[in-house]
Amino acid sequence: MVKKTLIAFVGFVLFAGTAKAQDRYFTKTGKIDFFSEAKLEDIEAKNKTVTAVLDKKSGAIQFEVQMKGFEFEKKLMQEHFNDNYVESNKFPKATFKGTVLNNTAVNYTKDGTYNVKVKGKLMLHGVTKEVEAPGTIKISGGKIDAASTFTIQLSDYNISIPAVVKDKISNTIKIMVDTRLEPLK
Amino acid sequence: MKRKIILGVLLLIVVAASIAAWKYFEKSTNYAEKEPEMTISVKELFTAFEQDTATANKRFIDKIVRVSGTVRSFDSSAVVLGEEGDASSVVVGLDERNKQSISSLKEGAAATLQGKFSGYSKASADPEDLLSSLGTTINIDYGGVITKK
Repeated sequence: MVKKTLIAFVGFVLFAGTAKAQDRYFTKTGKIDFFSEAKLEDIEAKNKTVTAVLDKKSGAIQFEVQMKGFEFEKKLMQEHFNDNYVESNKFPKATFKGTVLNNTAVNYTKDGTYNVKVKGKLMLHGVTKEVEAPGTIKISGGKIDAASTFTIQLSDYNISIPAVVKDKISNTIKIMVDTRLEPLK
Repeated sequence: MKRKIILGVLLLIVVAASIAAWKYFEKSTNYAEKEPEMTISVKELFTAFEQDTATANKRFIDKIVRVSGTVRSFDSSAVVLGEEGDASSVVVGLDERNKQSISSLKEGAAATLQGKFSGYSKASADPEDLLSSLGTTINIDYGGVITKK
């Protein structure tokens, strides 16, 4: 009897462990672009090496991005972004930890595009703020595409714009997230 | 004399404006085309970070790194290098200018890539951290595939 219970317990623990892993989807090549419309010049950059994990059971979602990994077309913009604005030597990463609020509305077993709302904590430039953003979760052939577009205010994250260019650079930054997630084995 | 001074000042303004314009319009560096500052294998890179993360990060950060390893997956925007069955990987973001360089890649085959080292992430022991099961991730951006032998 004890033996059977033990086997059942071990089996349960093993099953629980695998179930947990199977619920998770990930990528290390997600994309985050940002765009800022400015009088002087539009500012845009792309990061193609974003790490993200989504737990489809709980709806928990997490992102991590290296600030130095944002690619700019112009060298001067790249330098200003890293040295003066986000201070990437001091604050190398931006992270997001949140939840898909309406996760139950997503049928992960059925192909389709579902509108979702994500809420969580965004850490950027050493400052953590609560953000809420609309997004989509697209299911197709066992893969998950998670995307979102939202805006943040630079001033919320203590990112100051030098006085000389204050009226030429927007405080509002549009952020576009695009990730293709695969099952985490 | 006066004319010479005016001409000199004008010349200085033109030179200064040219330098400023050149600086302003200068494209970001295509790191894959530069001489590498470090040449290393994926395995050696992981070992360096496992042994002493802080020292390894200091050694590599912002450096032009040429890295060789097995291609796990790739698309037109990034290449993942690492060993099958190991969660750790080196992720190389491809510079828009080097997108065509992926034509020589094959999943499971060896490849050499180069770019700017932009950071790392080490798996935490925190069970609440969803990223904890992803092993070590090393990020190289502004990258490209090195095809010449």
